[in-house]
Amino acid sequence: MSEVLSLQEKLVKEFIRMEAMLNGQAQAPVHAIRKQAMTRFTELGFPTIRHEEWKYTNIMPVVKNDYAFNVHNTSTVTKSDIEPFLLPDVEANILVFVNGSFAADLSTIISPKGVEVMPLAEAFKKKATVVEKHFAKYALWQNDAMLALNTAFALNGAYIEIASGAVVEEPFHLLFVNDSRAQSTFAPVRNLVLVGANAEATIVESAHTLASGENYGFTNIVSEVVLADNAHLNHYKVQQDVEQSYFVGALHAEQAGTSVLNTVVVTLSGGIVRNNLSAVLAGKGADTHFYGLYLVNGKTLVDNHTLADHAVAHCTSNELYKGIMDDRSTGVFNGKIMVRPDAQKTLAYQSNRNILMSPNATVNTKPQLEIFADDVKCSHGCTSGQLDDESVFYLRARGLDKEQARALLLYAFAGEITEKIQLEPLRERLESIIAERLHQELVS
Amino acid sequence: MLTITNLQASVEGKEILKGINLTIGKGEIHAIMGPNGSGKSTLASVLAGREDYEITGGTVTFQDEDLLEMSPEDRAREGVFLAFQYPVEIPGVSNTNFLKAAVNEVRKHRGLAPMEPKAFLNMMREKMALVEMDQAMVSRSVNEGFSGGEKKRNEIFQMAMLEPKLSILDETDSGLDIDALKIVANGVNKLRSKETSTIVITHYQRLLDYIVPDFVHVLYKGRIVKSGGKDLALELEAKGYDWIKELAQEEVTA
Repeated sequence: MSEVLSLQEKLVKEFIRMEAMLNGQAQAPVHAIRKQAMTRFTELGFPTIRHEEWKYTNIMPVVKNDYAFNVHNTSTVTKSDIEPFLLPDVEANILVFVNGSFAADLSTIISPKGVEVMPLAEAFKKKATVVEKHFAKYALWQNDAMLALNTAFALNGAYIEIASGAVVEEPFHLLFVNDSRAQSTFAPVRNLVLVGANAEATIVESAHTLASGENYGFTNIVSEVVLADNAHLNHYKVQQDVEQSYFVGALHAEQAGTSVLNTVVVTLSGGIVRNNLSAVLAGKGADTHFYGLYLVNGKTLVDNHTLADHAVAHCTSNELYKGIMDDRSTGVFNGKIMVRPDAQKTLAYQSNRNILMSPNATVNTKPQLEIFADDVKCSHGCTSGQLDDESVFYLRARGLDKEQARALLLYAFAGEITEKIQLEPLRERLESIIAERLHQELVS
Repeated sequence: MLTITNLQASVEGKEILKGINLTIGKGEIHAIMGPNGSGKSTLASVLAGREDYEITGGTVTFQDEDLLEMSPEDRAREGVFLAFQYPVEIPGVSNTNFLKAAVNEVRKHRGLAPMEPKAFLNMMREKMALVEMDQAMVSRSVNEGFSGGEKKRNEIFQMAMLEPKLSILDETDSGLDIDALKIVANGVNKLRSKETSTIVITHYQRLLDYIVPDFVHVLYKGRIVKSGGKDLALELEAKGYDWIKELAQEEVTA
């Protein structure tokens, strides 16, 4: 218990040190929120498995580790370090953050028409009014320790504002590097994305830890996303990190009328990975899609908590998360559908399907439906099991060997998620990684 | 082509096949009929290599090789084809990609290079016509959302693509209306050659009006109790299976 307090105590000290560096910014209304969030974080403390939302995800290893904080030197990371993380053959706005700080040298902002893109640190000054209107309004930290922690340390990240009617072809790749090669590092990141009415955009988020030896990187990324009327946003999160990585991240969106949010989270590796995702369907006809694939092995733990919050009538949410778990990996899926009293004519679907490849892999899945309107259509379902023997036999009876048959079936299983990625180079890249992985795992 | 000698098989300790003897020559069509539960589908499954069955005795020789020693995929590559009674739906795998993989595996086994995409497409088009399948069906996931008739047509389509030496049709007629039955039978007949053999497993004589067998065997309680020409099927249709059961009973008591 004393160790838990010690990281917390260190964070309190670091917060004070951070405040001292803020200068004039310490008087900004945003900082008042940071201070409240810090107080709240110290009250709540790090969540333990006694906390309902963290029942299957023990973050004690994260909490027990010792970290460097407020590392603002971005020069430790070079172009060749990030080269493997870039999307090949894509003309994109690339925003690279090293340990939470914006790395201008590594970034490429092609700033298409109708787009304002800048580090959040800059937006706190240049776009103060807009930021104040939205900051911490969707990622509700009051009862969430990890969100409170992120809000307290919200200094930098990406600020993206898409003007009304702008259709942005080039995706935004937000690339977060945690450089823990010299020492374990805590890297908090905060993003704010505003998509104007009738605007369209695509965002790719990926976090990468550079680690060595016993060092672990702890990355905490929160994105707040606001979709105006009829806005369309594709949001893809790619997680292929090293074993020595702890990731706790969240995306909290609010959607106005007839807006469409399409999220795909693909987790391929990492140490502990926790993703929170929520969308408040706040305007009539809003439509949200949550898709997720976790294909993990070793001792990786992947936890996806989602919330589709239907606040008004005539909205649709559609959710499908699929898992392929090997070795001693652990999967957690907690999908909540909230249908508030005004949300008549809601259509809400949720499904979680898992294939366990090893007797030591586990999946904990929990659907939660809270429905306070009477004229709605909601469904949920979850399955966990092995590959269907009959399907394997069918393929073998046509000449495919056992491994090919299994790989083909698993690839098809995963394909139902990857096909939701409309950014073709990203989809193709993920599909080839998945094919390669399945082939290796089944043959070995 | 195929020689089955005293084949015995059981599932979960229960003996299903109790000594099957059957010889199938090149170019022949054999019908295997019998009441429900007589072991017809078990025989088909054992020949295709389904692992749920334990072979407790006997031998099966296919083209001078021990069939029972081969994996299911090797049997397929050697030219054994089972048209499933219940074809499996495989979401996310298109018929085209599935067949490309299967055809190329068979070719590899026979020492042939993978087919050129264009040649493959041409072959597909030609074989689709055999069972009146359209492009939309072929582009869809394997059997997903197919009607019963479509699934059976897809089985025969796969058979046409893989060009097996021995085809085993396991109750391919079950659940088909007369039009679908005619399409399926027509496909099978067009694929018939002097070099290939077919085992037609069916409960009813109806299919045999369209696929005319050279021999008919009646399976009952795990044994072939009567064999004959195509007229035997008509006799069974007219008289039902009761006389067969009595016949088998007499043989046991005698």
